[in-house]
Amino acid sequence: MKYETGCTALHRASPRVKLVAALILVTGTALLPRRLGPVYFAPAAVLGGLWLASRMPLRYTLRRLLPAQTFILGIALLSLFSPSARPGFPATVTKSNLCILALLVLGWTTPFPELLQALRRLRLPSVMLTTLALMCRYLPVLAEEARRMERARASRTFSRKRRIAWQNLGAILGRLFVRTADRAERIYLAMCARGWR
Amino acid sequence: MKEEARSAECGVRSEVSLTGEGRSDGGGPRGVAALRVCELSYCYPQGQAALEKVSFSVAPDECIGVLGPNGAGKSTLLLHLNGLLPDRLPKEPNIRVDDQPLVAGTIDLIRQRVGLLFQDPEDQLISASVFEDVAFGPRQLGVGGAELQGLVGRSLGLVGLQGFEGREPHRLSHGEKRRVCLAGVLACGPSVLVLDEPSSGLDPRGRREFKALLRGLPGAKLIATHDLELVVDLCSRVLILDQGRLVAEGPTLSLLSNEELMLAHGLERPHSLLHLHPHG
Amino acid sequence: MHLPDGFLDAKTALLSTGAAAAGVGLALRQVRRTLEPRQMPMLGLAAAFVFAAQMLNFPVAGGTSGHLVGGVLTAILLGPAAAVLVMTCVLMVQCLVFNDGGLLALGANVFNMAIVNACGGYFVFRVLKGVMRMEKNRATVFAAAFAGWFGTVLASITCAGQLALSDQSPWSAAFPAMALVHIVIGVGEGLATGLITMAALRARPELVAGTGGGVWAGMGGMGGMGIMKQRLAGTGGGVCAHGGGFLGYGLLIALGLVVFVAPFACPWPDGLEAVAKSLGFANQSAPPLIKGPVSEYRLPFISSMAAATAVAGVIGALLAFVGAYGLARFLAPDLEAAKKDAPRGSNFEV
Repeated sequence: MKYETGCTALHRASPRVKLVAALILVTGTALLPRRLGPVYFAPAAVLGGLWLASRMPLRYTLRRLLPAQTFILGIALLSLFSPSARPGFPATVTKSNLCILALLVLGWTTPFPELLQALRRLRLPSVMLTTLALMCRYLPVLAEEARRMERARASRTFSRKRRIAWQNLGAILGRLFVRTADRAERIYLAMCARGWR
Repeated sequence: MKEEARSAECGVRSEVSLTGEGRSDGGGPRGVAALRVCELSYCYPQGQAALEKVSFSVAPDECIGVLGPNGAGKSTLLLHLNGLLPDRLPKEPNIRVDDQPLVAGTIDLIRQRVGLLFQDPEDQLISASVFEDVAFGPRQLGVGGAELQGLVGRSLGLVGLQGFEGREPHRLSHGEKRRVCLAGVLACGPSVLVLDEPSSGLDPRGRREFKALLRGLPGAKLIATHDLELVVDLCSRVLILDQGRLVAEGPTLSLLSNEELMLAHGLERPHSLLHLHPHG
Repeated sequence: MHLPDGFLDAKTALLSTGAAAAGVGLALRQVRRTLEPRQMPMLGLAAAFVFAAQMLNFPVAGGTSGHLVGGVLTAILLGPAAAVLVMTCVLMVQCLVFNDGGLLALGANVFNMAIVNACGGYFVFRVLKGVMRMEKNRATVFAAAFAGWFGTVLASITCAGQLALSDQSPWSAAFPAMALVHIVIGVGEGLATGLITMAALRARPELVAGTGGGVWAGMGGMGGMGIMKQRLAGTGGGVCAHGGGFLGYGLLIALGLVVFVAPFACPWPDGLEAVAKSLGFANQSAPPLIKGPVSEYRLPFISSMAAATAVAGVIGALLAFVGAYGLARFLAPDLEAAKKDAPRGSNFEV
């Protein structure tokens, strides 16, 4: 989850506006006709402009776009099997990448806590907001716990067999779940201790 | 206006009550104990006794240590002080804070008066930023806006973390996390501070700094800990719990120098007292 | 299986988002109704758990590694309603922060992975667990493993259907591609699901849904302290959907199959078109939902792929069944003993 501390106008813009704008851009782009044509210039220009305004490094952009190509091409290739869908191939790939660019710019200019605030103002149910907030807060904690357990297991594993590796992973995740459930209870108590109802 | 009224109702004046002093309701005359526990008993749902008729009191400026082996019931006792246990509070209160009984109707008030610091700061730091976390308690009490900003800033200043408002919890060191938790508790304006293993996991410097921090905080303090040196340094009186019962209570030096007593209850004489005459 | 943007057309995106919204709404209602305040933080922590689990490398072959999705696992541990919410949150963050899955396609992804995968898999889990004549904990592991495989495959089929409905790719290409890949991938998912369920059972049997507890009954009061009380109060597992809730998800999945899959998979397109019309999904003036056989059957090899895939699916299911059975029978030790252990004492043993 990487972003740069706000240095551009886009960074300073209201997260709610950015989220809604991203949604509109993505919707507009995704629903473009399945034939590459001049109409594609509009979203491309807008997104290009936004990308420039966000000052996202080119290398970072390419690094994030690259893994997505596997999925995009993988699914888009299926369209080659149908003569009616075949000509849409380049358009689909373009559309997809433009949409990802839109979300990349959103992610670059908006740290997740701000996105959460935007979702709150957009009336996302409170259960989901709390879940999202706690998830992001405790993901590094759980990831660290899992890593520690992996290391402890590895120090006592003397076989390279895949079966052992899978059993270890299963055991680690099982224990991690139990510890997570206990931690959730302690968090509840800590919240109540400070007046949460 | 409404915020102020609500704050006053809960007994907190946000501009002064960081440490329990200058309380809007006076906090009672000097003679009233800040915390009084009377014959507190608790049984686990499975039937085992966790606490048996524990009674003690804490004066408004006293610092008390709670010692005992693992499983003695220290943490269970601490959870009672904040009304987190038992699930259904008894009609006859066992616990009084500033002479207010702990019953179902006063639970919110008591939770604000008794600031509980949990053993693992990771479980207490639940928000995405330090500011949000310290603000969590005061927000529940109705503090908001510029007042809240000031309160959070002062609380962080009290624990030596000025300017940490924008930091993310998981990037803090263990000691810093613990101090943020303390700031969050202090921001609610408690009159009694209850700490569960405050020095665990801290490196020697962290321990020293936290000890100095605690020493500087006025108000009643109750510290459950294994860190005997900490108790010697900070606490004037100790309680020794074993198997849910209060087996000893008295001045720190005389109790902790009593080797027989300490060993009998899974403890030991702290090194700093090894060369001290028990009556000196 | 995260669909990126740009593949689904308007009507498919709308339909799948609607179905997803219905499912999430149902889950929200159930969670609000049955979850106590003390259990709320667990939703967030469980979402973090799923995310963390997805980051671990499961070695596959050569240097490659696979990753758990965890939909069915989450449903087994938390019950279907909570699982829907947890997986939706995971998918949202994956879309917004990691760009894994599109924003417009979020509805389809939520439908496929949070509802079809998690709830469909959970349904199979409960059925199998009920009918298998094995020692209870072994049956749980077996059912978990098979359900993990099944949920993955089922979700891939609805995904293929969505692609076909969008006219993005023909069913005869999408279905074999998606289904065959996931029949294989699903083995890993099922295996991981079974192993993790086994480990959870060993550590704290009362935390696993469907053992008469579920994490909601197992929680409550500092680790072990509240277990007894909650267990007496709880029914077959708190948020675990029974009756009404179950029906809701089942209906949604069935509808999804009807809308996304049936038009293509069924050899009687006319009859299904009639059904679709009566359900209001087909418009008289719009181009027919069901593509005529002409354009797709030009390549005879491709046309038989769909049938071949169906056969592969059946074989895969049988293999998964046997594999799951083997896992439960031989790798899962007698977990009966775990039940007899007294519940853990307080977490706050100081």
